[in-house]
Amino acid sequence: MTTIVDIAVNNEGFSTLVTAVTVASLVEALQSPGPFTVFAPTDAAFAKLPAGTITTLVQNVPQLSRILTYHVVAGRYKKADLIGVKSLTTLEGSVIDLNISEQGFEANNATVIAADIEADNGVVHVIDTVMLMRPHWFYPIMESGKVLH
Amino acid sequence: MTTTLLTEQSIKLPSSSHPYADVIHRLEAGGSMLPDTPENLMQIIGLYKAYAVPMDFYWRDLLYIAEQVFLEPLPAFKYFLPQEYLDLPNHYAGDEADLRFWRGQETAHPELLEFMEKGELKTKLPKIFHHLYHDRINMEFAEECMRAMLWHRGLGGELEPFMDSEEYRQNCDRAIRAFFKNNPVMLGLYKLFPEMFLEQCRQSTMTSVLGLFWEIMAPVFFEMSDIYDEGGFKGVPDAMDFLANGIFAIAGRPIYHRVKVGGEWLDIVPKSKGFTWLYEAAFPYVEAVFYRTSPFRGTKSYNAQAHEIPTDQNDFHYGILYADKFPVGSAGIPPTLLHQDMYHFLPQYLVDYYKQFCRGEDDTLIQLAVSFQRSMFNVTSAVIQAGRAAFLYPLDDPNPQHLLANRHYFEGQLNRFCNPKYGMDKASRLDMVQDQNYR
Repeated sequence: MTTIVDIAVNNEGFSTLVTAVTVASLVEALQSPGPFTVFAPTDAAFAKLPAGTITTLVQNVPQLSRILTYHVVAGRYKKADLIGVKSLTTLEGSVIDLNISEQGFEANNATVIAADIEADNGVVHVIDTVMLMRPHWFYPIMESGKVLH
Repeated sequence: MTTTLLTEQSIKLPSSSHPYADVIHRLEAGGSMLPDTPENLMQIIGLYKAYAVPMDFYWRDLLYIAEQVFLEPLPAFKYFLPQEYLDLPNHYAGDEADLRFWRGQETAHPELLEFMEKGELKTKLPKIFHHLYHDRINMEFAEECMRAMLWHRGLGGELEPFMDSEEYRQNCDRAIRAFFKNNPVMLGLYKLFPEMFLEQCRQSTMTSVLGLFWEIMAPVFFEMSDIYDEGGFKGVPDAMDFLANGIFAIAGRPIYHRVKVGGEWLDIVPKSKGFTWLYEAAFPYVEAVFYRTSPFRGTKSYNAQAHEIPTDQNDFHYGILYADKFPVGSAGIPPTLLHQDMYHFLPQYLVDYYKQFCRGEDDTLIQLAVSFQRSMFNVTSAVIQAGRAAFLYPLDDPNPQHLLANRHYFEGQLNRFCNPKYGMDKASRLDMVQDQNYR
């Protein structure tokens, strides 16, 4: 059986993610039958975070776990299943906003650079940016900004 | 995610038609709401330093109050910080820091210790005399900020729902029973009025949250002051970037509340809940303190028929970004008591600067209050830019749709300063801080 964890471990460019998942003790959960949909940030995505961000998270496992579970959704959702879907609720509890069009596949401010990598217990979409939970005030601010002056 | 100054931004999007279009374009170019001038840089950094020293007291005392004073019915000595908390190592300064923001020491700042000993009187007296003469650090300001965060609920994050949960109630119950185990009167009152005690626990939790929040800001501001003294910041955007990057670096710091009873620590909000500095402390703090707080009595009528105060707390606009810096002597907004605290720790270059303007030395308290307002516009800019980097797109993103989303975000943020409801647009000081002569 090839699990989501196996995909991350056996492919280049996910070493930070694998380390983070290991530190947060989420390996076993992501090896369970699931199924899960995982938005997997690459090493380059983690490298875009300012210095110290990962250090602080690795020092604080529950907080790291919260960020990581924001990248996991219960259920197996391939790109084709998500067309027309505006958002998905993550295991962390907050939602990820989706935007799938001819121009591409975006989750929040991350671009999916490789979609539909299938594992026996779910599907992996590779993203170029680490996603952070959008707070509740974000949406009214964006709506307010769309009003023309 | 450092926001680098961009010069070709305007080529990709048409000019903004927002009333604060100049500020929008500046934000899109990686700047701050505050114009990039050497005078502004000097004022904001000087104030960060003057703020950091009392803040070193605030965070220590807030944690002392939350962890050890807790529900003490007559907390007459809660501002008498014990040595244990003066020596409490800051997690973000010193050699043993989890993440070192300031190259300095982890224990209380030397200028703070000197002031605590001699006060404004410059005389060593027993602590009680300094206290009664009000010659001390004004914790009333810190507590007012805490109350603003407690009162303006619904500011986001997971902590607030947790404070209404059965788990929180049980944690509080355990702590209350332990704290008053030798006090049958208080235990009897608890049985009669459990909700009142629970609300006091919530206030104590928010005290811990604010203490943990400021534990980080104090070394960040000290480091910024040191960098400036070495000539390290070229302009206001550099100072803003330092803050924005710091916000990211520390975003995952745990937010918790524990109480020490009989030598044993009891968790009220355990670290294991996964609450973070960014979502459960920083965002609620900025919203409650910089934007909202509550109107100072005497400036607004509390009569409901007068319609001077919004019925919706989301429309409250009495924070530092809207404050008339008249020194009314309050702990709230304008925070004269904080200004008084900062007055004791101004760097010499700001003391000399203030002497040149208005009524010179007599006017220093108001001038520094305006500088503080400028510095908080810069902190708010850092939060806005950090939010843009975290939730949206880089400033040099090649996709015009992404740049448009960034613009909607910036314009939405600045709309808060030009809303005619309740005169928010007139109260806002954003237009005034654009002018160097506002002092």
